[in-house]
Amino acid sequence: MSNQKKRNFQIEAFKHRVVVDPKYADKTWQILERAIHQIYNQDASGLSFEELYRNAYNMVLHKFGDKLYTGFIATMTAHLKDKSKLIEAAQGGSFLEELNKKWNEHNKALEMIRDILMYMDRTYIESTKKPHVHPMGLSLWRDNVVHSPKIHSRLLNTLLDLVHKERTGEVIDRGLVRNVTKMFMDLGESVYQDDFEKPFLDASSEFYKVESQEFIESCDCGDYLKKAEKRLTEEIDRVGHYLDAKSEDKITSVVEKEMIANHMQRLVLMENSGLVTMLLNDKYEDLGRMYNLFRRVTNGLATVRDVMTSHLREMGKQLVTDPEKSKDPVEFVQRLLDERDKYDKITSTAFGNDKTFQNASNSSFEYFINLNARSPEFISLFVDDKLRKGLKGIADADVEVVLDKVMMLFRYLQEKDVFEKYYKQHLAKRLLSGKTVSDDAEKSLIVKLKTECGYQFTSKLEGMFTDMKTSEDTMRGFYGSHPELSEGPTLIVQVLTTGSWPTQPAVPCNLPAEVSVLCEKFRSYYLGTHTGRRLSWQTNMGTADIKAIFGKGQKHELNVSTFQMCVLMLFNNSDRLSYKEIEQATEIPAPDLKRCLQSLACVKGKNVIKKEPMSKDIGEEDLFCVNDKFTSKFYKVKIGTVVAQKETEPEKQETRQRVEEDRKPQIEAAIVRIMKSRKILDHNNIIAEVTKQLQPRFLANPTEIKKRIESLIERDFLERDNTDRKLYRYLA
Amino acid sequence: MDRIDHLFNQYANTSSNLIDPEGIEELCSNLEVPHTDIRILMLAWKMKAEKQGYFTQEEWRRGLKALRADTLSKLKKALPELEKEVRRQSNFADFYAYAFRYCLTEEKQKSIDIETICQLLDIVMGSTFRAQVDYFVEYLKIQNDYKVINMDQWMGFYRFCNEISFPEMTEYNPELAWPLVLDSFVEWISEKQA
Repeated sequence: MSNQKKRNFQIEAFKHRVVVDPKYADKTWQILERAIHQIYNQDASGLSFEELYRNAYNMVLHKFGDKLYTGFIATMTAHLKDKSKLIEAAQGGSFLEELNKKWNEHNKALEMIRDILMYMDRTYIESTKKPHVHPMGLSLWRDNVVHSPKIHSRLLNTLLDLVHKERTGEVIDRGLVRNVTKMFMDLGESVYQDDFEKPFLDASSEFYKVESQEFIESCDCGDYLKKAEKRLTEEIDRVGHYLDAKSEDKITSVVEKEMIANHMQRLVLMENSGLVTMLLNDKYEDLGRMYNLFRRVTNGLATVRDVMTSHLREMGKQLVTDPEKSKDPVEFVQRLLDERDKYDKITSTAFGNDKTFQNASNSSFEYFINLNARSPEFISLFVDDKLRKGLKGIADADVEVVLDKVMMLFRYLQEKDVFEKYYKQHLAKRLLSGKTVSDDAEKSLIVKLKTECGYQFTSKLEGMFTDMKTSEDTMRGFYGSHPELSEGPTLIVQVLTTGSWPTQPAVPCNLPAEVSVLCEKFRSYYLGTHTGRRLSWQTNMGTADIKAIFGKGQKHELNVSTFQMCVLMLFNNSDRLSYKEIEQATEIPAPDLKRCLQSLACVKGKNVIKKEPMSKDIGEEDLFCVNDKFTSKFYKVKIGTVVAQKETEPEKQETRQRVEEDRKPQIEAAIVRIMKSRKILDHNNIIAEVTKQLQPRFLANPTEIKKRIESLIERDFLERDNTDRKLYRYLA
Repeated sequence: MDRIDHLFNQYANTSSNLIDPEGIEELCSNLEVPHTDIRILMLAWKMKAEKQGYFTQEEWRRGLKALRADTLSKLKKALPELEKEVRRQSNFADFYAYAFRYCLTEEKQKSIDIETICQLLDIVMGSTFRAQVDYFVEYLKIQNDYKVINMDQWMGFYRFCNEISFPEMTEYNPELAWPLVLDSFVEWISEKQA
């Protein structure tokens, strides 16, 4: 087109010049209508797509889109009504099949019709915003077939009936049902939900309500859970096979609610089969199943956890407060470790190492271990036993395992300072009697304690080891500079730094001449190289090995305590001695002397001394002589009495008192530290802060803290505020 | 001032130039007031007397000047007014603390023995808080934890009487900053009532 001529050339829309024949539209529609009939009657093979398409196209072009559209709707509706009647007429099982068949037919027909009417779809319908052909066809199906009164409820009931049958064990035609549910989904998600899913969920809810009630009356917990699990799996399977995927969460919620949530308490607390029974009998599979099922419902795990916690606490409480069980400390602790292991295994095997369960378990152990005030002492005795003999011959890695387990129990202790006191005592005895199985094991435990509690906790303990080592060096030096002494009795001295070792009062004791001479020589040697120090012999802690020849020539080496040595050596110079003579000669205090004589004269197999009279107790009028008839199948006989034991009641009171005394300065130091930095603080906060600071060592008593505060006020470290009596002020 | 000094000399010990316990006793009898009466303590407070049982000339002057009394009869008339003044809320706490300090006779003494405390409580608080004083005194006499009472505990009792209803004691909370001796006291009463 040349752009020179402007006005005369106008590009206009192509106008069809054909005069519109009013009958044209009718005629064309009739063609199409007939075609639709044929399509529905499965008789479409003779039709020409191209011709039909053009007809439809023409109608729209000539502005008869409206007629075409309404005609299409009317025709399809009529057909669907017919189809509906046919479906209604179907009997029994074939109802669904008919429905399904007609649905498939309809879809095929609809597709063809849509193709033919595509021009209308894209132009007329676009501009008028009416529903497109395909969606329209689905809506018509929905309204005329699915929602037809005679079909609607029958369809739903048929489906629900099938589901119910399958749930009760019958086999059903899953494919058929799948087609129907898919049909619902194709008709729209709301159709699926309203016409099928919601009633399905309600019916399922009813079903499981009834079933769960039956089960719970007749099954034990383990079986019930198995059944519940099975049902859940089934429902998930069901969804996979013939429901829409979005239904899975909804149906599983129903099962979870009816079978688990509604019966939670009853299941967990069921006598002889519930959680407690499972725990007691290590039923890992059942416990795992319970865990997996209960985690699906709100508060499910909380319920399980709570019951487990109260059981554990109760059982633990009984365990630690049972006087029978506290007779043997080592067994007591072993029992605790066994329980700990048991619950570790349960948590890891059945509860998937769930942290909340680990915490519940830990807090329960902490609770009941501290119910017995002797737990710190017993744990120390357990360790003592292991380090003395229990770990003999065990590989290093296994030793670490045992020590780590002990540390776990240690962490639960609220009174760690009490443990420290006992540990020190027991360690001292072990070191001094040379009775430790493995130095490495000892050191390893100290390291663990240091990591847990800090340097201060273990510095004194380490000092004890250092003293032992230094003493070895000192002995070497001593004998090195006194070669003439290698002939006489051998002296081994351990020099203990006061403050590192548990304090003991020095007990008077007259050593035999040979020994005291040696001791003096050592004293001068030592003080010669360490000026400004003071040495005092701890005669109540020493041991001696002495060779003895009895009446018939039996030779034995006796391992005895220092006191026992003093007594025995007296018999080198006298055949018979009275109690009073022995007492005078040795100057050992009466209670210690009596104990000493008892161990020498009254213990079967170790009675190297004979006593008159032969009573069990030592009387002040008794007479003693060497037991010439003494026999033992061992050459070396151990008669020493320096082993760590469970404390007697008065000893326990004493230790407890010392612990309490030690705590007072610690509390005061904490108060001063806190007040120095805060300057002013109210009462409740001081109590809280102090408790927190001291918690790694012991649980501070608020009344005790209050006492210390008042003491500090009296000594002018703190004062009360004049206006607000809840406040304390630090006085610099 | 002369008349005040003159009055002073009537009771003072000539060698020490102090009114000593004997002199105070005489003063009391002249005032017709028992010498254990609280008003004498109040007088000491007004004088800001430091040592129990003695008045110095300076303290005497201070007190009588403040009371505007230069004769014995004026002094006697001033006593009721003095009592009112002391019992005013704003002054009583100070007086109460003073009463304690007044009984600290030794240098560096910080606490007072139970027996003296009981007497002091009776004198100082007996008229206003009879019940509390009686109960507390009974408690102090039978308990064994405390042989002496310090200033902090003494003041604690004063706050107790003023703030806690007796004998209900519903407001009392041992977890607050009350002195421990009062915690024990309250506990003892509750056990008695149970």
